[in-house]
Amino acid sequence: MASIGQIVERTSSGEVLARAQIRARLIPDCLVEARRVANTVIAGWHGRRKRGIGENFWQFRPYSVGESLSRIDWRRSARDDHTYVRDREWEAAHTIWLWADLSPSMMFKSTLGTVSKESRALVLMLALAEILARSGERIGCPGVMEPVSARNAAERLAAALTHRPPNAGLPDTGMIRGASDLVLIGDFLDPSDAIMTRLTPLSRRGMRGHVVEIADPAEEVFPYAGRTEFTDPETGEKLTAGRAEIVAEDYRRAYLGRREALGASLRHLGWSFTPHRTDHLASEALVAVHMYLSGAPGRANHGGQL
Amino acid sequence: MSGLPFLFTNPALLAALVALPAIWWLLRMTPPRPQAEVFPPLRILARVLKREETPSKSPWWLTLLRMLMAALVILAISDPVMNPRLNTLATGGPLVLVVDNGWASAEDWERRVETAAGLIADAASRDLPVSIAFTADRDHNAAPTSADEADRRLAAARPQPLATDHPATVAAIRAALGDTRPGTVAFVSDGIEGAGDPVMADLAALGPADLRLIGADAARPVALSAASNDANGLAVTATRLVTTGPESLGVTAYDARGRAIGEGQFDFAPGESVARATVTAPFELRNDFARLGLTGLANAGATYLLDDGFRRRRVALLSGEARDMAQPLLSPLYYINRALAPYADLVAPEEPDLAKAVPALLEQKPSVLIMADIGRLPEEVYGPLQSWIDNGGTLIRFAGPRLAAAPAEDPLVPVILRQGERALGGALSWAEPQPLADYPANSPFAGMPRPADILVKRQVLAQPTADLAERTWASLADGTPLVTTRVEGQGRIVLFHVSAEATWSNLPISGSFVEMLRRTVQLARGGGVAASGAEAARTLPPYRLLNADGVLTGETGGARPLEIAAGVTPKATSDNPPGLYGSEDGFSALNLMERDAVLQPLALTGLPTAYQTAPLAGAETWSLKPALLTAAMLLLILDGLVVLFMGGAFARLRASARPAARAATILAVAVLGTGLVVAPGIGHADDSKPGDDAILQHLDTTHLAYVVTGEAEVDRISQRGLEGLTQFLTYRTTLEPGAPVGVDISKDELSFYPIIYWPVSASAPMPSAQSVSRIDAYMRAGGTVLFDTRDQISALGSASGDSPNTQRLQAILANLDIPPLEPVPTDHVLTKSFYLLTSFPGRYSGSPLWIESQLDRQDGAADRPARSADGVSPIMITGNDMAGAWAIDDAGNPLLPTVPADENQREYAYRSGVNIMMYMLTGNYKADQVHIPALLERLGQ
Repeated sequence: MASIGQIVERTSSGEVLARAQIRARLIPDCLVEARRVANTVIAGWHGRRKRGIGENFWQFRPYSVGESLSRIDWRRSARDDHTYVRDREWEAAHTIWLWADLSPSMMFKSTLGTVSKESRALVLMLALAEILARSGERIGCPGVMEPVSARNAAERLAAALTHRPPNAGLPDTGMIRGASDLVLIGDFLDPSDAIMTRLTPLSRRGMRGHVVEIADPAEEVFPYAGRTEFTDPETGEKLTAGRAEIVAEDYRRAYLGRREALGASLRHLGWSFTPHRTDHLASEALVAVHMYLSGAPGRANHGGQL
Repeated sequence: MSGLPFLFTNPALLAALVALPAIWWLLRMTPPRPQAEVFPPLRILARVLKREETPSKSPWWLTLLRMLMAALVILAISDPVMNPRLNTLATGGPLVLVVDNGWASAEDWERRVETAAGLIADAASRDLPVSIAFTADRDHNAAPTSADEADRRLAAARPQPLATDHPATVAAIRAALGDTRPGTVAFVSDGIEGAGDPVMADLAALGPADLRLIGADAARPVALSAASNDANGLAVTATRLVTTGPESLGVTAYDARGRAIGEGQFDFAPGESVARATVTAPFELRNDFARLGLTGLANAGATYLLDDGFRRRRVALLSGEARDMAQPLLSPLYYINRALAPYADLVAPEEPDLAKAVPALLEQKPSVLIMADIGRLPEEVYGPLQSWIDNGGTLIRFAGPRLAAAPAEDPLVPVILRQGERALGGALSWAEPQPLADYPANSPFAGMPRPADILVKRQVLAQPTADLAERTWASLADGTPLVTTRVEGQGRIVLFHVSAEATWSNLPISGSFVEMLRRTVQLARGGGVAASGAEAARTLPPYRLLNADGVLTGETGGARPLEIAAGVTPKATSDNPPGLYGSEDGFSALNLMERDAVLQPLALTGLPTAYQTAPLAGAETWSLKPALLTAAMLLLILDGLVVLFMGGAFARLRASARPAARAATILAVAVLGTGLVVAPGIGHADDSKPGDDAILQHLDTTHLAYVVTGEAEVDRISQRGLEGLTQFLTYRTTLEPGAPVGVDISKDELSFYPIIYWPVSASAPMPSAQSVSRIDAYMRAGGTVLFDTRDQISALGSASGDSPNTQRLQAILANLDIPPLEPVPTDHVLTKSFYLLTSFPGRYSGSPLWIESQLDRQDGAADRPARSADGVSPIMITGNDMAGAWAIDDAGNPLLPTVPADENQREYAYRSGVNIMMYMLTGNYKADQVHIPALLERLGQ
């Protein structure tokens, strides 16, 4: 009997990029909600719905004493007896850090799933990059690419990944400053305590995080039976179950319990948590993350519960 | 047969056992290899998987199991054989081969032939002549021949349904050998020795170089030796040869078409060679038994043939009087019952009315009808009874007081009887009680010893005729016949000239009575050839013969007719093989085993020369291959189950079984619930019938009853008379009867009344024959009729002697079976039952009261105050017009004057009525009361 799961080759960036762009084309532009004003001077493309530095007209308001006379819009003021000042909309870019776990365990693909977890993670990451770049946000990848605000940010990220594949484990986040958004894509199979130990400091630094957990269906439903020897792809550890079907129930409970615990902890930080299975469409996860990033008015109020 | 009793046919293949360690290593390496799976969330799995301990190798016992399986297969392929045959014949002389081909060898005849053929082949290879003899054959040709010829004779030999004849065989061998000393004497035996037949010693006396006893313990012969038809079932006896250990065998009864219709079971106790079994079946079914066979044994000894003689007869019993069962020893039927119950099926009538009882009995098609002391039968019964006898029925009659009083022209007695009986012994007789004479030779009782202790005190006598002697089956020492017979058509009438209870003679309480009745009943068969018991000898042709396999066949080739001589039990011989002899209409069975024969094993001690024993050929060389392969296959199945279990195949089964169990529980609860709901609905059937109220009313209190004659005045006097007696009884005694009841004897139920008063009136219509028959039944069932002709005064004046009322009474009594009568003797209990009376007057005082005569008058006991008598007289006759004296009007004044007009006489008339009523209700109680002083004296009071 052929084995259910296997370790597949790393997916090439070009192929992933193509698929990501196809996915991204289906998703509308994403304007990242900025809860706090980032003290950045880097101009973005999209208005922030508030007064500030920008190029587009925002409002006329009466001139108040002390303001620079040069800001008076004389054409408007000539219409009546008041003087008006033309305000412009603040147009600034937000920094989004994208990160995907590319550890060996992500290379797992079972007969139940369509692609490997790594492939799905990359697709999600690049599609997000594409969508956000379209919106003029600054895209970065910790340890791989400094934040850039460019229309071709996805291509540049793909190229960067080709040259410098990210390390296993959660990224070094020392270079991340201020209020930015962090999108973490991985399988998060470590104990949830260990994960939270890493993430809690980030939350304290004011970062907003979005965690996408990629799981293979085989990991979730445990379709194994009979005498089975299990191998951990990261540590190489082996474990033999005499009759795998009798532990299936217990395993499923433990697996879902871990997911529940992780999700609850993340929501406690105010972060969002999106579980995703590789036998589902990538767009599902993409839309979910898109909603969280853009503030998803209806959902944010409920702590991101689906 | 020396050497190893164990041989490998292909010993080279045993080399494969060397490969076992390699198989061991392979089994250790290969077993259940796990399915390899990459599994990233291993740490989560590890948390839940810690509990299970999974061996990485197959357990040692599983490996051992498979090793054992491999070893068994290798051993099986190399084909081990137990007890291979070797040629060890002595070469000094001819081979003498004695082969038992009696009935016991039929089961394993093929193996016996194989054994003998092996010996003949051995002899052929050593060029020895062979002398072969078969012990059950008709002629024993033991001349030494070539091995080929012996082989041919062996192939032609068949087992016979007969016992073996060893002495003749040995004699034939000795004659054939002459002076030659035999080399090997081999006796292929069935292990049975005939009586006085030391066959091994005889064979040893031939002086062989080598004596072998082959197969003596191969068969465990069991034979059926006897069968008898008992009351509860067919009792069968079986005997076996090997007595060690307990043994259970079924016996099956087959009907004439070979269908099994009954079963029994033999349980041999250890050490016992004889066991008995009972085949329980209804009587009708048992008569269909034609053959008994031991289950699973097909030979002539295990088959027992039954013939007509085994059939149980149905015997119908009729008695003239119906004594209550509180005094069974006085009832004639009691002795007949006890005598015949083991041999026949007895039927008794359900109602006392002979006019109905006899046809009802004949309806049941009895072989024999026994009538004890019946003097006169209802007129309409004679016809059917006569035709039943003509068609082969046997009527057995016993004498008694009624028969003695019956008219002489009775057609249903074998001889002409003198009226009355003859008493032997006693004060007024010169004659002594007589013993029996020897039974005549033409009697079926011939052969029985003459019973010396039987004394006949009273008998009915036959008129001497010319053919009386040849009709007599038994007679007394003085020559008067005791048992006579007459053939009527195909049937027979037998008369015992004594009564069937012990008052006339002590025959009924002797063993001869049982045997005589049994033989008489045995004669009653449906027209078979053996029906005539008087012939001295007869010859029966073979009809169906038993072959060695216990099957009845029509081949009667070599069999001769069976000669049956009186007193000689025929034996099965080669001239008369066991089977059925006779014709289709009737046949006698000749069985292989003599009655109660016992199988004897061969006597093996004290032989002059040593001998060897050997088993039969087919039994000894048997291959272990099938057993080994079966064991290996079982291990393979076991291994498969273990592997399935370890692979987790049964976990799912258990999970899916749970809903089924729940469904079963629900179903059981539903069924139980339904049962509880339905159960209370079952009620008691209402068995009340119309008229129950009136019956209960009559049963609550005793009523006096009178016969409604149809004449108003007579009936009124009867009613008023009984009313007067009722009042008198109520005043003077503890008996308080209800109102008198007039009964219509043609239709009313009579059994409620102890006594019925019948005023005979010549002008009233004559009662019908059916009514008289009912009265007869009433008297037979214990009731009493008081006939009152009321003609004492008128009879005085009539010249002819009999008044019209008396003539009418005679007409009525002509159809009744009444005992002899006498006037009430002075010591009769009627004179003492309440008042002390000397006469029984009514309106008139001249007529005596007639009651049943007491025949066993104790003449020597005249000083007794009362006669002991049993029962109550069923009939009383008076002419004194008792009801007329008793009759009162509503005010209590007498209706009619007494003649002469004497109130004292009326008082005595009432007293007579009281005494009669007390006699009716208490019977002979008062007669026993007179003994009280003597009894108290004996008790020391």
